[in-house]
Amino acid sequence: MFPLKRVVAAEWLKLRHSHLWIVLLALPIVSVLMGCGNFYMNQGVLQNGWYSLWSQVGLFYGEFFFPTLIAICCAYLCRLEHSGKNWNMMMTAPVPVASIFWAKLLTAGMLTAFVQLVFALLYIIGGTMTGLSIFELPEELFGWLLRGWLAAVTISSFQLALSMRIRSFAVPVGIGLGATFLGLGMYVAKAGLFFPHSLLTIGMGVLSPESLPVQQQLTVVVVNLLYTAAFSAAAIYRLRTADVSA
Amino acid sequence: MQAIVSTRGLSKRYGSSYSVENIDLLVEEGEIYGFLGPNGAGKSTTLKMILGLAQPTEGSVTVFGKELAKHRRLILSQTGSLIESPSYYGHLTGLENMRVVQRLRNVPGSHVREALKIVRLEQQQNKKVSQYSLGMKQRLGIAMALLASPKLLVLDEPTNGLDPAGIGEIRELIKSLPQRLGMTVLISSHLLSEIEQIATSVGIIHQGKMLFQGKLDRLRNESHPTIAIKTSRNPMAHSLLAAQGLTPILQDGFLRLSHLTDAQVARINRELLAADIDVLRIVEHKKSLESLFLELTGKERSL
Repeated sequence: MFPLKRVVAAEWLKLRHSHLWIVLLALPIVSVLMGCGNFYMNQGVLQNGWYSLWSQVGLFYGEFFFPTLIAICCAYLCRLEHSGKNWNMMMTAPVPVASIFWAKLLTAGMLTAFVQLVFALLYIIGGTMTGLSIFELPEELFGWLLRGWLAAVTISSFQLALSMRIRSFAVPVGIGLGATFLGLGMYVAKAGLFFPHSLLTIGMGVLSPESLPVQQQLTVVVVNLLYTAAFSAAAIYRLRTADVSA
Repeated sequence: MQAIVSTRGLSKRYGSSYSVENIDLLVEEGEIYGFLGPNGAGKSTTLKMILGLAQPTEGSVTVFGKELAKHRRLILSQTGSLIESPSYYGHLTGLENMRVVQRLRNVPGSHVREALKIVRLEQQQNKKVSQYSLGMKQRLGIAMALLASPKLLVLDEPTNGLDPAGIGEIRELIKSLPQRLGMTVLISSHLLSEIEQIATSVGIIHQGKMLFQGKLDRLRNESHPTIAIKTSRNPMAHSLLAAQGLTPILQDGFLRLSHLTDAQVARINRELLAADIDVLRIVEHKKSLESLFLELTGKERSL
């Protein structure tokens, strides 16, 4: 555990002077603004209070902005190494090879948790400003955020595996975007549980805000963990065996 | 002396061609080992395999007497390296870059100041590395390599792209390391003049194969001097010498002979005169290391 802590500390140092924060803040702001606007304009149809607002902000956020943000985040974490020959330095550091991947996944996990928090705060602020009472907040909110974050970690492991392999910044982000639309299709086709990007849709409850049955909640967690393990194993295997090209 | 780095039958194949073939490299403790070869000879690939950055197709690497494949972390913790061009995070300052390495290598903060001082970057430590000149980046890379006070330092073309003053500075620095800090240095270069001035041992690699390995002095001794003799009647002198069992080569108006003792030269002179052949010149040609290197690596042919 100890070397991993060191590598994570190094990852945080690398985020200094970075403009990533702007993206991390801007995307939730834009999604909540758009969602709130939509909600406010169509209050005639959207009469389910906080739940209606969630369906509006969540749609933009969960189906488009958040997955894109995760992809950008992971691409950025890898671009730090791709530019400036830094893979040579990372891979000659006396730390387990796996910890290099885990540190990036943990960092992505922390950043996405921060984004979820910002999004939740903005949702609450936006709701109160459109006239909803803060005391009637949906009890599912915490579950949505947590399961959404879990899916975010899964997607991060997928994106990191891609971005470590592909030197380009945009290509993995583009692939991620494609996967998001595919995930939406899988969700509609009722196969959402078996596709990482659909897990975000399910977890965040954006298309069906009613709470999931406990049985299914457990399945969501297990599938998330399985996917994360699989993507991570693939990425770590490659780090261990492939020649470093810095 | 203890072997710090040794490789056995180290090979790397890309597709069907070997970029490194059957290299037995041996670096002993306290040496500055110059790894010499033209661009594309396989130097970087060999060094990358020694550091675990590339997987050998065949053969094994042993560092500090331990097999790399099994003791990677232990070996890396005592090895500093600078491979290809220096690694750096451009958006961070020099000091912050050092801190990243400090965290990865788990060394006290005082090492950072010391390493920056050694490469004389303290004044620029708060400048973003993207604004550094190539020489400064190179020095930062060396500071990063020195940070954990390694026992082995692997430097791949550390003076590439530096101006003459910078080259001299880095050279003096590297030269001082074995004595000052007890390090063993493995340094690669495509410039013989570079290696000649700092190395104690050399390995010459060409097209993936090791052509020579040993002390620099041994390489110098391999450059046998030749004696060139110019006479008034060269063809006649040639047959006279050949009749005595010598093998003169007639070239550019000179008869060239190698492996001659002083006594032999004197006798040849006397006999030529006795045969009524005037001796016009007797010249000794010493092969420079440079021409020896070119001969070994066959660059002459390609030029």
